[in-house]
Amino acid sequence: MKKKVIVACGGAVATSTIAANKVVELCKKNGIDVEICQIRISEIESNLPGTSLIVTTSKVKRDYGVPLITGMPFISGVGVEKTEAAILDVLKA
Amino acid sequence: MIWEELKDSLIFTGLQAETSDDVMRQLGAAFINEGYCKETYVEALIAREKEFPTGLDVDGIGVAIPHTDVSHVNEPGIAIAVLTDPVTFIQMGTDDEITQVKLVFMLAVKDPNAHLENLQQIIAIIQDTEVLKKLLEVTEKKEIIKIIKEKENSL
Repeated sequence: MKKKVIVACGGAVATSTIAANKVVELCKKNGIDVEICQIRISEIESNLPGTSLIVTTSKVKRDYGVPLITGMPFISGVGVEKTEAAILDVLKA
Repeated sequence: MIWEELKDSLIFTGLQAETSDDVMRQLGAAFINEGYCKETYVEALIAREKEFPTGLDVDGIGVAIPHTDVSHVNEPGIAIAVLTDPVTFIQMGTDDEITQVKLVFMLAVKDPNAHLENLQQIIAIIQDTEVLKKLLEVTEKKEIIKIIKEKENSL
């Protein structure tokens, strides 16, 4: 089944583009069929239905009732492996 | 390749700035003067930085990548600044952790997905602390282009 992943940042401009691409590559490598929804943080709520995971590069204080992982390591390069493992954990579940 | 698109008028070495807003005003003005961005760019940039900060701590080296909504941009571009003294940026993904920044990559993004490759190159540069250390030592614009060219050719 196709998994829907929301990748969000402040303006859906730069960092979420990078993070979204990383998530796509990661899923491809691991044989996970994924649909990416790249949006602004403010648009998360209206895009929630059917979402398995949210990856953000900005701080999110709200609980959307969906697993949320920070995609910051994809930008800073620090801690990428741990983040990838966490993403796979959620999507393989 | 990014290095081919870098323009002297958008590269600053030894930039003096008091605050992160000051850096964004100076670089933003260059973007506007060169026609890359609309007059609204600077204020939009500063407002966005407050809400969604772009400071990064890359293994102890402070970098910032300010950018804002595509509606304020005419043409995609990159402005680079090496500061004489660090200014404080808030770290991306936080609202109170700070990082002292001497290296700024300001982005004028028009169509993120069309420029995925460029964005990835920039991220690759930012993640390489050896490259960052070299950039921090630079005194001439040409050296910045050279360092980035070498890095891109190695990717």
